[in-house]
Amino acid sequence: MLREENAGELIQGTLEMLILKALARGPLHGYAVVEWIQQTSQQVLKVEEGALYPALHRLELRGLLQAEWGASENNRRAKFYQLTTEGRKRLNAESLRWARLSAAVAFVMQAS
Amino acid sequence: MAPALHQFLLRVKSLFRRRRMGREMAEELEFHQAMLRQRLLRQGIPAAEVDMAATRAFGNVTRWHERLCELWQFRTLENFLRDLSFSARLLRKSPGFTAVALLTLALGVGANTAVFSLINGLLLRPLPVPHGEELAVLRMEEGGSQPRYDFCTPFFRSLEARHDVFADVFAYNPDTLQVQGRSANENIHGVLVSGQFFRALQTAPLLGRYLTPEDDRRGGSAAGLAVVISEHFWESWFNRAPDVVGRKLVIANVPFTVVGVMPKRFIGADPTERPQIFAPLSADPIIDAPRNHIDDGTHAWWLTVGARLQPGITMAQANASLFTVSGPVLHEASDDSSFIVDEEKGHFHFAAEPGSRGFTYARLLFRRPLVAMFGMCGGILLLACLNLASLLMARGAARERELATRLAIGATRGRLIRQLLAESMLIATMGTAAGLAAAPLVSGALAALLTSGNSSLHFDTLLDTSLDLRVFGFAALIAVASAVLIGLVPALQATAGNVNDHIKDGQHARQPYERRKILPRLLLASEVALALVLVVSAGLLATSLVRLFKSGVGFDPRGVVNIAFSMDKQQLEGDALMRLYQQLGEGLSQQPGVKSVSFQFIVPLAHLHWTGRYSARGGSPEIFDMNSVGPNYFGTMRIPLFQGREFRWSDTKTSGLKIILNQSAAKLLFPGEEALGRLVTNVQEQSSYEVVAVVGDTKYRDMRAPAAPAGYVPMMQDEQKKPSLSAVVRVDGPQAPLASAARSLAARLAPSIPEPTLTTMDEVLNNSMSAERMMALLAVFFAGCALLVTAIGLYGTLAYATARRTNEIGIRMALGAQRTRVMAMVFWENALVAAAGSGAGLVAALFASRVLASFLYGTSPRDPWVLLGSVAALTIIASAASLLPALRAARIEPMAAIRYE
Repeated sequence: MLREENAGELIQGTLEMLILKALARGPLHGYAVVEWIQQTSQQVLKVEEGALYPALHRLELRGLLQAEWGASENNRRAKFYQLTTEGRKRLNAESLRWARLSAAVAFVMQAS
Repeated sequence: MAPALHQFLLRVKSLFRRRRMGREMAEELEFHQAMLRQRLLRQGIPAAEVDMAATRAFGNVTRWHERLCELWQFRTLENFLRDLSFSARLLRKSPGFTAVALLTLALGVGANTAVFSLINGLLLRPLPVPHGEELAVLRMEEGGSQPRYDFCTPFFRSLEARHDVFADVFAYNPDTLQVQGRSANENIHGVLVSGQFFRALQTAPLLGRYLTPEDDRRGGSAAGLAVVISEHFWESWFNRAPDVVGRKLVIANVPFTVVGVMPKRFIGADPTERPQIFAPLSADPIIDAPRNHIDDGTHAWWLTVGARLQPGITMAQANASLFTVSGPVLHEASDDSSFIVDEEKGHFHFAAEPGSRGFTYARLLFRRPLVAMFGMCGGILLLACLNLASLLMARGAARERELATRLAIGATRGRLIRQLLAESMLIATMGTAAGLAAAPLVSGALAALLTSGNSSLHFDTLLDTSLDLRVFGFAALIAVASAVLIGLVPALQATAGNVNDHIKDGQHARQPYERRKILPRLLLASEVALALVLVVSAGLLATSLVRLFKSGVGFDPRGVVNIAFSMDKQQLEGDALMRLYQQLGEGLSQQPGVKSVSFQFIVPLAHLHWTGRYSARGGSPEIFDMNSVGPNYFGTMRIPLFQGREFRWSDTKTSGLKIILNQSAAKLLFPGEEALGRLVTNVQEQSSYEVVAVVGDTKYRDMRAPAAPAGYVPMMQDEQKKPSLSAVVRVDGPQAPLASAARSLAARLAPSIPEPTLTTMDEVLNNSMSAERMMALLAVFFAGCALLVTAIGLYGTLAYATARRTNEIGIRMALGAQRTRVMAMVFWENALVAAAGSGAGLVAALFASRVLASFLYGTSPRDPWVLLGSVAALTIIASAASLLPALRAARIEPMAAIRYE
């Protein structure tokens, strides 16, 4: 389980949180979301890029995201995702939960 | 909840744009890969390896695309739609089965919905007035078996003045008003209402104002007599004139001012009435002249009384209050101490009951027949469901192999049951829709049967049987219930058991387990039992009706026509009026085909009656049904004249009072003695009458009761100043020309009277048996349907079962079984079921017919002939239905059958 290449594998459900975070600053298409996550995590977090799409569509179905077709930076048609009010609320809740969880895990791991 | 709803809506939306969604998903994924490839190229990966690297980074595109599609799919709904179309295909493939299924179900649903909408119209639908739950209907308890709903004026006026528990107390009496038209008076259906009537019903007038307590005074308010008219009457009489308020209507020769128009939806407090004119109660002495129900005090029981509760008062509180005021009101009402003592003996008291649905006597009359009919309809629907369930089960058995195969390759049982249920649901929905479409027609016809000119109700009585939300809800409930009933049992049965066995057994000859199948037999047997119950009920009701018809009424109703003349508002009276009647009679007797003409005050069996108390000298007084009749009455009616003579025109008031007794009355007053020529005394008036004839007994009040003692007085000696009599005309041949003849005669001889109305005696008799007739007709119809449905069920299941045994039968024959043996074997399979069902049905019928006992005339609910006949009918039908498959089985060619697989 702790093999080298799996170091960046994401816990179930975390991906959705990261997508919400990526979209916090404004609408992005799927590729840009992946790019942002990889860059921001300094290439540590890696996903099989296709796996992003079921997650995006799930969020859209649940009403956390809104999708719209628009032109990309290289002028191709692309589907842009955007947080809904509902999605923003969820992002805040998830951030809080993650902060608590990671702090708690850090405490446990630092205990001697 | 919100995300789930959002998801649901999006998925529903996606259903309709599936292709576009698929394209967009592909495009989205393609865009990502294109961007990915560009990045990889920028990172310096050789062009030849870019595709592979992209796939490594992205994963399998097809797989992701499929995941997305799955995400958006509406699994349950899509499966359901697929099941539906599959079922529709199956049903189309067996049109015979489908037609039978739909027809039987449509019949069951249609009959149920029709009767339910009648019940809804008569028993359930609330009055269209605001806050109906505050309304109450008042009644009187006098210690009898039935409470009374008809009040006298003094009781009502005392109650009306009390406002401790009721905000308003009101009374009304449906009436026929003579309104002056262009040439003559016309009879218009209306209602007399008390002062608080409109206030209690809280419906605003369309125009003008409604009647208030000020209008309900003798002579009307300061502005004179007032009436309110219905929107319908405003249309038909005033052509919707905008200045109708303030115009005059001459009613009973007295001018009334129209002060308001009530909207169409307002029908007063009786759901079966559609009054055209609302007149004040106090105007009764004018409108009903020369009668006067108000001055008759405690002798006229003519009012229906309702009330609206004070806010916050419960029905229990109202009843408690009514109980305490009952004594004082009774004493206030009358000085007649014997009346008060009589009433107090019966613990007389007033009571209130919920009145949101208004009050109608039709409810008291028809509640039980309707409920009994509803029971029969329920039976036929249950029968249709049982029938379909057993047919589906037989078919399910034929599909066992298919289902087993699907189970074996991984379908869940739930999924298969859902699919089988989709089929039954499709049948149920279509059947219900067909039934619902036919229901208004049927219920309209039933309502017409029920209220057809029933003269105890009013002539333009209407029953609103239109479909409303309650009826639709009921139909939907039936549809769901029948779908589950039809489908669930066969579905469970078909998918139960060991997959392996089913696949192996499939079509094979080796099917010992079929013998053990008890459930289909149970279904069929209960179908037979239910059909027998229906047939027995129909047999009993029909026998009773026939006996009622045959029981005779004491006169010959065929070819007798009654023509009613309303003489109460014209000028002539006394002997002058009698001369007018004589002229009318002579005029009528000159019409073609007329054999004889006479007159009568009361048309027998038309729900009106008049009684008198008479005694012989020194004897005790006896109560007689009375009638006032013209010369040659008994000859015209063909009532046997045993002794004495008919009345003559010369039997006037000055020639000494005369009476004719029927046989029972003569025996009662003069047991064992000659009655002719003796004197009898009217107890109330203390006047003596000479008996001039003894005639045969006739039925007078009720078809069902034996003829009662009766007396006839000559119309020429009638106490009423202006009696309204009916001409009795015995006519040979067509009766229709008589109506126009009577109209022109009346227009010539008495121009001011309303058009005379014509009814045949046959109609009167039919109406007096309308409930019986309707029940018997329906029951016979249902019984016929039940027999047909049962035959189809027995035939269908046996045909399926036998077809599946083709192989086995072939082997039996190859081994030497004779054709007759084979035939008997197949035949017995059903005969056993039918015999068991008949046995159970006979027991059930004996219980069920007890409910019918009160509807039966001269027929025991255990009438052996009816029971025997029903069993015989069912046996014949069952045998015929079973014989066909048996014959087919006997014709099987062994070689063909064995090679069959």
